Amino acid sequence: MKGRTGAIFLVMCTLAITAAVVCADLKKGYYTPSQLGSLQQVAPGDLSPDSIYQVSAYPVPALDLSAGDGRQDVQIYCNTCHSPRYITMQPPLQAATWESEVNKMNKTYGANIPEATTRKIIAYLQAHYTPETRKEWALVFAICR
Amino acid sequence: MKATEQILSRRSLLKFLGVTTSGMAVSPCLWPDAATAQDPPRTNALEPFTGPGPNSHWNSVSPYFTEPQKAPLLLLTDRPVQLETPRHYFLTAFTANEAFYVRWHLDGIPNAVDLKEWKLRVEGNVNKPLALNLSDLMQKFKPVSIAAVNQCSGNSRSRLQPRVPGGQWGNGAMGNAMWTGIRLRELLDMAALKAGSLFAQFQGLDTGQGPEGFGSHVFLKSLDLTNPVLDECIVAYLMNGEPLPVLNGFPVRLVVPGYFATYWTKCLSWIRVLSAQDENFWMKTAYRVPDTPRGNTTPEDVQAGKIKTVPLERLPVRSFLISPDGSSKIPAGMSVTLRGIAFSGFGRVIRVEVSDNGGKNWTAATLGEDHGAYSFRTWEMPWTPKSPGRYSLAVRATDEKNNTQPDEPVWNPGGYLWNRIERQEIVVGNAN
Repeated sequence: MKGRTGAIFLVMCTLAITAAVVCADLKKGYYTPSQLGSLQQVAPGDLSPDSIYQVSAYPVPALDLSAGDGRQDVQIYCNTCHSPRYITMQPPLQAATWESEVNKMNKTYGANIPEATTRKIIAYLQAHYTPETRKEWALVFAICR
Repeated sequence: MKATEQILSRRSLLKFLGVTTSGMAVSPCLWPDAATAQDPPRTNALEPFTGPGPNSHWNSVSPYFTEPQKAPLLLLTDRPVQLETPRHYFLTAFTANEAFYVRWHLDGIPNAVDLKEWKLRVEGNVNKPLALNLSDLMQKFKPVSIAAVNQCSGNSRSRLQPRVPGGQWGNGAMGNAMWTGIRLRELLDMAALKAGSLFAQFQGLDTGQGPEGFGSHVFLKSLDLTNPVLDECIVAYLMNGEPLPVLNGFPVRLVVPGYFATYWTKCLSWIRVLSAQDENFWMKTAYRVPDTPRGNTTPEDVQAGKIKTVPLERLPVRSFLISPDGSSKIPAGMSVTLRGIAFSGFGRVIRVEVSDNGGKNWTAATLGEDHGAYSFRTWEMPWTPKSPGRYSLAVRATDEKNNTQPDEPVWNPGGYLWNRIERQEIVVGNAN
């Protein structure tokens, strides 16, 4: 009788421990090297009790535009008024939309980009940032990950 | 390395016990879900852009980024600065200053303001031009406070189909603050407007690289002097009881309750009284919507030149589910609290309704404290999903003018006035 109780107790314990270990195996203790989610804290600035209310320079992180003919023109001319992030933020836009966007910069905002360069910039944006062309870029992004 | 070792040691222990995972089938009550046994997935970054379909996320897909005086927010653009507020900050009626979204048009944003030099000027078609410093504004006028929602005209632009160029905001280009300052009317009265005054034009400290006479040089907005909203406008030097962050308009900002943020000039420094229509780009060309119900039109009608436009003005009624946000499962039978916010530029929100079947049946939610007609109003509702499955939670608000959120999308070339009923898929899992 005593032996049987002991055996049942032993079986129960084994089952409980096994269950716990399997649970742990599935749900606990997995880590992976990754920088994702990491963001540096900004150090506080020096303040003095004068009349000047100052903040630090606004940071501009590096940005990779797709490599290709016309990229340098985009970096020079578009960057005069705004960073190229204005381009990468957009959804894939139709070729005609990119053309009218660049023309808007010249006509509406007075960008005054030389005509040949304007055409180069339009061609670059159409070659990398339309629904047809940006898909390939997205695929490259997916593979790199 | 360490993780692998731990896994190995656990596997050896299992071996030692003489049990494999498949053997667990003998005790289903202890281990009901053994078939799905797998390592946890790696965390992946969100794709950096959406389209050509609509952005399906609540916020934009931008990365987190920290700008001066700001918590990490979602970076749309770095120069000029545009930052979106993450969803969870909208659990409360007031949005913290450090989390408040940011939108500038021109890259010459001040890095410093010297209050010894800075003046707010009222000039133009006036008998007594004014030049007041911040101390004058704080001492010589009676302070007034108003809770008001500031929403970017392009908020939720990434929902439109077909997609339109512009800031690809999710829903987080909005915020509510308690604004304290002086009445715009008092300033105008003090300056004594001359006969024939028609508009008040507002200019901040920001400037752009574009040539003079273009919208890329200065950002100017105007309000009709006969517009009753002028009686509610204040020039605010406090935002939630604190100085404004520079990126939100230090030292003072125009507050136009119920109106889109395009009129809320940041770093306001010039109020110019005009005796003629304001023909500048930011009034004549930009921030205009089709003169149709909801500002709705089609690409075809725009192409055909059929569209007459009017300046964008008041915020259409909107509401949002903030929590739960769909990122975690809810066990069936658990009573959770649905929480969110609602607002309208046409008057206070009087009703928020929630549907858990995609909009077939609606139940009224409980409204939170009333902070005024132009504030966010929080709402909540208990919800107990009985069985596992995928639920489509929808939320709609109605304001005191009886405007209710429609379930149809809106489209116009500027990507403005989106206020369709929002939906959130919630996954309910087995609780046993």
